[in-house]
Amino acid sequence: MSEPILTTHELKKAFGAHTVLDGVEISVAPGEIVGLLGPNGSGKSTMLNVISGFLKPDSGAVAFEGKAIAGLETHAIARKGLIRTFQLPSMPHRMTVRDVLRAGSREGAGLRAIFQRGAGDENVDALLEQFKLDHVANQPASSLSGGQKKLLSIATALRAGPRLLCLDEPTAGVHPKLRTDIVEILQSINAQGVTMLIVEHDMAFVRRLCTRCLVLDRGAIIADCSPDTLSQNPRVVEAYLGKAVKRGGLKV
Amino acid sequence: MFDFWLHILIIACIYGMLALSLNLQMGFGSLLNFGHIALFGCGSYGAALAFTQQWGLLTGLLLGIAFAVLLALFFSRLGKNLGTDYWAIATLSIAEIMRIVLTNEVRWTGGAQGISGLTPLFSNLAYPTSQYARLALMAVLLAATLAFCQLLIRSRLGLALKLMREEPNLASALGYDLETLRRTIMVTGGVIAGIAGFLYAHYFSFVGPDQLLSTETFFIWGMVIIGGLANNYGVIVGAFILQIVMANVPFFRALDLPTDFVSAARPFLIGAGILVFLLWRPNGLLSERVAGKNV
Repeated sequence: MSEPILTTHELKKAFGAHTVLDGVEISVAPGEIVGLLGPNGSGKSTMLNVISGFLKPDSGAVAFEGKAIAGLETHAIARKGLIRTFQLPSMPHRMTVRDVLRAGSREGAGLRAIFQRGAGDENVDALLEQFKLDHVANQPASSLSGGQKKLLSIATALRAGPRLLCLDEPTAGVHPKLRTDIVEILQSINAQGVTMLIVEHDMAFVRRLCTRCLVLDRGAIIADCSPDTLSQNPRVVEAYLGKAVKRGGLKV
Repeated sequence: MFDFWLHILIIACIYGMLALSLNLQMGFGSLLNFGHIALFGCGSYGAALAFTQQWGLLTGLLLGIAFAVLLALFFSRLGKNLGTDYWAIATLSIAEIMRIVLTNEVRWTGGAQGISGLTPLFSNLAYPTSQYARLALMAVLLAATLAFCQLLIRSRLGLALKLMREEPNLASALGYDLETLRRTIMVTGGVIAGIAGFLYAHYFSFVGPDQLLSTETFFIWGMVIIGGLANNYGVIVGAFILQIVMANVPFFRALDLPTDFVSAARPFLIGAGILVFLLWRPNGLLSERVAGKNV
């Protein structure tokens, strides 16, 4: 088996007295599409924030391609190839969709390259077309619908050259038709060798896309299984629906 | 009267460069620099020091730029540990400290009296040819600065700055080092401000601490806000308008207004102008252009 692209070891994070991550251990192999699931407040987004450097862990280790990244600055982690998107992708008001996409790549973003117009923009048009954003390319990015913003954030992340793409609820608030498009796009990205860790609530989406699921509850991983066996896992069912109790002889 | 307008245009060109430099920092980098006049002062005192030491014009220019770069780096370093608003106060404080030090130090800076007698540019030419030559030089330098700023904001660096300005978290997540971006634009703006200071010193043949009052920073802010934040053409329009208005303030005396009123009119007009535009036209006369449209 190849070396994991991402591992966490005994990862802990608390906000005051509230422990959000309580010794989380995960491992993601190259090429996988791993779904990170769990009820609201289980620590999924915190997990993503810690992995991507937006939050520093209290203790524990995060390794990307075998190298420790816990505690590094966000941009330093991104430059290693771990790129993330946000649950609520806020987009600039004074930049067009095309410009946001162009800005996804850092190539030539220095003073020395100010005379090189159009350098590094080769795949922008292709991405606009692939993500069905070509007809809104010259609109302010903030004017897009929620679903289009999600698409733009994924396309922009792709321009940054990810080897591991961490997506925070890529289908939340997205039209069902667009969800199908997103699944197809993500599958094609994965086919190009990009590993994915996806925080998601939509089980149908997870079943269609993910090769493996990790379920987080109260800051700990309670299940590591295939999407098809999720509903048969009693700990997962309990985490989502609560513990079965007997009342008056009836199991409820 | 023609000489008067020639003079106003020359000064407006210098202030246009200053407004462009602040616009790079604030308009595109979202850096609330309230100490911008100190960067200008680096240029003017660099020119003055080279003059007193008889090091020549080029050395004066390089010295002014070097001082401005060092101060801009110091400003950037401060920003690493401070929030935007606290950083703004820090830049204002540093500019004031610098002005007070320049006022009280005599050996190198001439103290409150400043340094006078700097060689005016084109002093070998007869008047009014010398004044035309100065205007031509300032206009060329302003146009070159404008072209540079336009090139910069249309480049990938400009895109990165705009992304940092509006969505810093997204920029970080894509691998942009926000500290480096802020430092780059702070130093770039500082160099332009330093050059403007050098030109100002050699135009007026005088450098003094009163040129670095904090009201001067807000004068430049006024140009940027009134002209149009994040619009390079707009801030030049703002610079010319404010310069023309301010140059005519002394003529208020002809209206038999009290002297105190006339002397207070300049800061009053700057403050009132900023306030009026912030309330009724926050994007200025020429707002930022996105995809060929003003936003």
